[in-house]
Amino acid sequence: MTAVLKAAVSAALAGLLGLDAVQAGQFLLSRPALVGPLLGWLNGCPLEGAKIGILLELLYIDFIPVGGVVPPNGCAAAAAGVLAHSAGGLAPSMAFFVGVAAGVGYAPLEYRLRASRSGLNAFIDAQVSAGDFRLRRWLARAMLVENLALGGYVLAVAGAAALVNLLPGVARLYPGTDFAYSLMPWLGLSGLYFRFRTQIYKKG
Amino acid sequence: MLFKMFLRSFFIQAGWNYERFQSLGFAFALQPALEKAWPDREKLKAALLRHLQIFNTQPYMASFVIGNIARMEERAAEAGEDQLKHMPGVKQALASSFASIGDRIFWGRLKPMTVQICLLVWSACGFYGWLFTGMDGAVSFGVLLAGPLAGIAAYSVFSVYIRWKGLKAGYACGGSANCALDAANWPRLIRLLSAAGFAMSLAIALLAFGLLAGFNCGSCRPVDMLLKLGLPLAVLALHRVMRAFGRSVFFSAGLILAASVLLFSLLGLQPFELYL
Repeated sequence: MTAVLKAAVSAALAGLLGLDAVQAGQFLLSRPALVGPLLGWLNGCPLEGAKIGILLELLYIDFIPVGGVVPPNGCAAAAAGVLAHSAGGLAPSMAFFVGVAAGVGYAPLEYRLRASRSGLNAFIDAQVSAGDFRLRRWLARAMLVENLALGGYVLAVAGAAALVNLLPGVARLYPGTDFAYSLMPWLGLSGLYFRFRTQIYKKG
Repeated sequence: MLFKMFLRSFFIQAGWNYERFQSLGFAFALQPALEKAWPDREKLKAALLRHLQIFNTQPYMASFVIGNIARMEERAAEAGEDQLKHMPGVKQALASSFASIGDRIFWGRLKPMTVQICLLVWSACGFYGWLFTGMDGAVSFGVLLAGPLAGIAAYSVFSVYIRWKGLKAGYACGGSANCALDAANWPRLIRLLSAAGFAMSLAIALLAFGLLAGFNCGSCRPVDMLLKLGLPLAVLALHRVMRAFGRSVFFSAGLILAASVLLFSLLGLQPFELYL
């Protein structure tokens, strides 16, 4: 029961932190490097949370949210990864790859949420035309929906991870996932290094 | 009024959608200036509807445009609505210019630098879990948080400063299509950030290889040592080759995972432990 409650609180917190990615503030509080240790601490595994978080961060830093492109969601990835380990019971290495997939999987959902908000424009115009200038209610509504979607998604992935953990023979995969996990820092560092190496050869 | 707009500018993307992008957040941020400029409700309504039309720029740089347009609205209220005819052009021109600058500074450089700061802080505190995934041991939660928070703090101080400076600069020179574009030496700043980012990347790469060699020194044979150093190099090469073929980093990660599971889980080979 405690694990379920912790997972629910963690998912709610992830939903809240996730708002920082696009909708409110943008202080980078939604980055996996912070979400990982924070949720790890909440679930009794800060070290694994930090490792999962920073490795996700290194891979996700490759994606830039320019021009309305929806990149894979780092907050969803870190939260799902940490909960797949702490609540789902998967080994950190497998939980990490669950997190990678979860972040990629959230992007189409986020795209649909953004697209669905286009339909609100006509209602907002009508409200303002009627003399009601309270715009904040629409912003609050958009943020609430996004928060619920992200929180629910993270909880669903954690639940799915717990079910996967019940399958026989899952532990047989761990030597392979452990080895792949040990190489991820180098993949991330490569991205980080070449990003700046390319930039210094550009003008302006 | 400026401070209210500044606070509201943090929500510029809250209603982001594919039809009008940041329009709702932009109108919301501008609302205090519009209410001051247009006390008449009909004119305020027209002004709000004007700014609920399509708008998109880099979110941190949006305050340059918000300040500019606030001043233009004030002038239009004082000198006549003829002043408004140039507004859509000015708004669009500034949004495009600042989006380009902001993307390069914030998304392209400062954001990756927060990760570098995190790694350097952790390393300075003696935590190498970011490199050795099998590392276990007592690390205080304070250290684990210090890394990401150091990067976030540096980033946020700069982004909040730019938001406030942008609002003031835009408000001060409102009305022109090149307003506040010279508020800073942007090309120089971009070059400096690139150089700083590259220097930190180089330091982290040297640190990573140094740690790998150092931790294995004396504990394995030279052949194993070469293998342990060669494997990361192979990963770097894989990443570069995949990038050259237009594949994302996830493709490389997937390849590594598939090969590892095949060799060490399904075929049952003994895993070569890169980490300690």
